[in-house]
Amino acid sequence: MVVSKKTKKTQESINNRLALVMKSGKYTLGYKTVLRSLRGSKGKLIIIANNCPPLRKSEIEYYAMLAKVGVHHFNGNNVDLGTACGKYFRVCCLSIIDPGDSDIIKSIPGDQ
Amino acid sequence: MVKFLKPNKAVIVLQGRFAGRKAVIVRSFDEGTRDRPYGHCLVAGISKYPKKVIRKDSAKKTAKKSRVKAFLKLVNYNHIMPTRYTLDVDLKDIVTLDSLQSRDKKVVACKETKARLEERFKTGKNRWFFTKLRF
Repeated sequence: MVVSKKTKKTQESINNRLALVMKSGKYTLGYKTVLRSLRGSKGKLIIIANNCPPLRKSEIEYYAMLAKVGVHHFNGNNVDLGTACGKYFRVCCLSIIDPGDSDIIKSIPGDQ
Repeated sequence: MVKFLKPNKAVIVLQGRFAGRKAVIVRSFDEGTRDRPYGHCLVAGISKYPKKVIRKDSAKKTAKKSRVKAFLKLVNYNHIMPTRYTLDVDLKDIVTLDSLQSRDKKVVACKETKARLEERFKTGKNRWFFTKLRF
């Protein structure tokens, strides 16, 4: 099984796109609000950190499957994801509700 | 982006007395109401699952084992796990908000739900719904 090596470039580009969403779009951080956004069919893309507990990860993926929403597994842990969002706390999962000026929805779910 | 908490969706109740039981959404209140300012839904579920029937069983025993006990409840969305299954049973006319107001109305509604669920079980469809969730 060949694991595609995520190059520095794509990781940077995800971080850039995420930064743009933080600045110009709408998002929610955290497990409870991610589920709420999925239930209300508001979420457009879900990003999960790589050290998310597997049960919680499966649950979010199942909800996203029911809602037909893409899930992106972030290449970094919750500390990194929090930093990528520009926050000083850990973020395990986040939901993008409105991407604003960013093209993260169009470009990212392709490389899940 | 597709709304999935719709009527006829099979869900699993996660909290409360009926935790671990399967239920079907009869009516959903996404925005909540004045009394319950959160997303919730009216579910009809199975309180006692029908037991496993074997070939040896007589007709009387089969009838006894195929009984189902139903429950009606208003549950918060947070206390429910949606599944990919649906259950097409018409419960909209019996299970209403009004039927939860008083005890005897609830009993009548439960009895009618029980009858409809039992007849659905006897046809052999929706087998997943009528098997107990092992955990």
